[in-house]
Amino acid sequence: MNLKKYLTFTRAGIIEALQFRLSFVVMVAGNLLYLIVVYFLWKAIYASSGTDIVNGMTFTDTLIYLVLATALFNFMEMYTVWEMGRNIQSGKIVLDLLKPMEYRNLLFWSYSGGFVTQFLLTFLPTFIAVSIVTHGAIHLGINILYFIISVVMAIVINYNIDFLVGTVCLYTESIWGINIMKQVVVLLLSGATVPIAFFPDTLKTVVYWLPFQSIYNAPLSILLDAEAEPKAVFTTLGIQLVWCIVMTVLSKAFWKTSLRQITVNGG
Amino acid sequence: MAAIIEIQNVTKEFKTLNRHEGLKGSLKDLFSRDYKIVRAVDNVSMSIEQGEIVGYLGPNGAGKSTTIKMMTGVLEPTSGEILVGGNAPYKNRSKNAQEIGVVFGQRTQLWWALPLIESFRLLKDIYQIPDKDYNEMLELYKSLVDIEPLLHKPVRQMSLGQRTLSDILAAFLHNPKIVFLDEPTIGLDVSMKAKIRTLIHELNRQKNTTVILTTHDMGDVDALCRRIVIIDKGKMLYDNDIEHLKGFFGSYRTLKIRVDGDMNAEAEVIKTEVPDFKVSSDDEWISILVDEDKSKVLDVLGLLQKSHKIRDMQLEEISTEDVIKKIYEEGVQ
Amino acid sequence: MKRKNLSFYFRIYCKILAQDLKSKMSYRADFIISTIGMICTNISGFISFWIMFRNFPSIDGWNYYEILFLYGFSLISLTPVQCFFDNNWSLRQNVYTGDFIKYCFRPINLFFYYQSEVFDVKGLGQLAFGIGTLVYAWIKLGLGFSVLMLLKLIIFLLTASLIMIALQNAAAATCFWIQNSFYVLDLAYRFRDYAKYPVTIFSKAFRFIFTFVMPIAFIAYYPSLVILRPDQIPILSWLSPVIGVLFFWISYKIWMYGATRYSGTGS
Repeated sequence: MNLKKYLTFTRAGIIEALQFRLSFVVMVAGNLLYLIVVYFLWKAIYASSGTDIVNGMTFTDTLIYLVLATALFNFMEMYTVWEMGRNIQSGKIVLDLLKPMEYRNLLFWSYSGGFVTQFLLTFLPTFIAVSIVTHGAIHLGINILYFIISVVMAIVINYNIDFLVGTVCLYTESIWGINIMKQVVVLLLSGATVPIAFFPDTLKTVVYWLPFQSIYNAPLSILLDAEAEPKAVFTTLGIQLVWCIVMTVLSKAFWKTSLRQITVNGG
Repeated sequence: MAAIIEIQNVTKEFKTLNRHEGLKGSLKDLFSRDYKIVRAVDNVSMSIEQGEIVGYLGPNGAGKSTTIKMMTGVLEPTSGEILVGGNAPYKNRSKNAQEIGVVFGQRTQLWWALPLIESFRLLKDIYQIPDKDYNEMLELYKSLVDIEPLLHKPVRQMSLGQRTLSDILAAFLHNPKIVFLDEPTIGLDVSMKAKIRTLIHELNRQKNTTVILTTHDMGDVDALCRRIVIIDKGKMLYDNDIEHLKGFFGSYRTLKIRVDGDMNAEAEVIKTEVPDFKVSSDDEWISILVDEDKSKVLDVLGLLQKSHKIRDMQLEEISTEDVIKKIYEEGVQ
Repeated sequence: MKRKNLSFYFRIYCKILAQDLKSKMSYRADFIISTIGMICTNISGFISFWIMFRNFPSIDGWNYYEILFLYGFSLISLTPVQCFFDNNWSLRQNVYTGDFIKYCFRPINLFFYYQSEVFDVKGLGQLAFGIGTLVYAWIKLGLGFSVLMLLKLIIFLLTASLIMIALQNAAAATCFWIQNSFYVLDLAYRFRDYAKYPVTIFSKAFRFIFTFVMPIAFIAYYPSLVILRPDQIPILSWLSPVIGVLFFWISYKIWMYGATRYSGTGS
């Protein structure tokens, strides 16, 4: 694989993002404001509960978890479904299919510049801010390395789910509806809005067998649980890897068969 | 008769950021305060009468759209004065809008999901068109183009040509004094172009509507405009009749001849015989650019026939397109 | 030319609405999928809410049903913005591509013309969900019923909805100045999720911000107090209709100012 070909897209993406300078200020400030709201909300919630630890999570744990989940969301959300839906509706997809690169790769790498800027401008500052506010509650050791590996796999799973759902746009014009359903399901079942530790047991079991928790819950629990046994960490990473493979194969296969059907029918 | 559009010494400036290239340049721009002033329209004046069709021409980025936006009240001139129907459009955008119709190339202003007739009905309400006028207009439309099949078709299902046609009809619906057409025939096939030109011409004739037409298609200009205005880099280059334009660089025609003997040698001889005109040659033709104000082509031909054996000849007219191209490239001396 | 008064605009809006609904009916699949998507959003919101309250029985002295009341109230008051002002989401795209110019040539109010173009039926699902939640909480709280209460409720719901409309207008209008203003709009959208919590959980400084700068406390908290805690209604609750109208007016002025300032990119 010629990596340079792909990195050109990354570079172009960064340059494009930098054109919008004021939006950075807004993004960073907005994010900060959002974090403050989350902080107060959960502080009040914990203050009313009477205990310090709920479902094995302290206030600090919950705060870090939710704040980083939001930061991860900002970082990972690629609006793939929208992009695909729009391209399909406008017919621009035909041009993209003619390019000497698989469409899924093209789309992914076109956005990768966004990853870099989002990482530097939202995730990193948030991470540092949370570290400072919680007085170093985030353990900085080997877990950071595991966390990074885990995030990379999370990106792959997330992208493949997006691509899978985006493919549905070949069949229907309802991009908004498709996208919102995906987003809602992913955010809830991945533990991005409420930590999975808070879920009732039956729901926890269901969620455990679904790919979504590998997107937010897996990397965050690896990051937060400093004393986790290597075995537990590797189990989590292993499950993620399995989902990576499964989702990649599924989304690839679905795209291929859908595309064939469409071209045969002349859609 | 008073002019419907009166533009006096109008200038429009924009402030833009100086952008730098590459990744490093983009980072620099993030903090840069390096602005420059761009003068999109520079001291333009013109006066347009009711019922005229004026071709407003210029290369891309010449300032055409900016002028039109000022005439429609979307932009305020930096300096100078514009009066449309006696009012300053920027100060009275809503009132001005009642008097004008606009078609912007490929951007439809119709309701995307609605059948054309429903769009018309909504426009009737918005412009408060009396029933009588509305029905008369529809009758007129029916007499000019075959709109029956279009009326019940949603705009989003129309072809580009049908959509442009519909947009033009919608722009004329409230019988405005002025209609602005921005590249109305762009991307259309030959027969559709002809259809649209006829339609514009007829509507102008029957309703005495002033039409301001911007286009890159000289076919539009030849078919519709008697007067053209050319603008480039914000400055007005030309404002006069199209007939006058053709004689703008003198009334030139190119006489091409083929003679016996060595063409290049013969060409040298011809140069001395007609010293007033530019002579050039290649292996096939000797070309003589004849200025008809000085002598007629036939006279030149007669003169040359005396000393050369002419085997073949061609006569080329300068087209509007050539003249305009020449103006774009060389400006006006 | 006849004067264009309120009834002129009302008549035009009804006509556009009728046409719009007619054409929507021809896209039944899209309509159904969008509606399901909207229902999913509400259900997932409710599930998150329910999971949280399983673990924490009260927040800052507000019990489950009281918060549920706020939740229902906020859903209802957020309906108008969803139904009537959804075209704000496309504003950025319209300005960016230069398509916005086409709205500038009509002899009617620009803001009205722009917003009238889209009526979002999906909002009605949210309305139904909100009413259901509110009625359930109302009964469980044993608030009793009188015509006066209903009247109060309706007035306060209507004026509360103006706040969210104002926020969205102002956020959308930023695209006239900032190129990539999606983040601003998205931020305003995310904040509405926090409208359902009592503003008292925040520190003084943020209570001030959420009351006067980014007035999300008026979406549900202050107006709800009139029904929920009738014996200790703060002056701000009674003022909320005035504030709603005021903020709407300000946002309208910002929007219009931005639009007239707009110069149209491209061509």
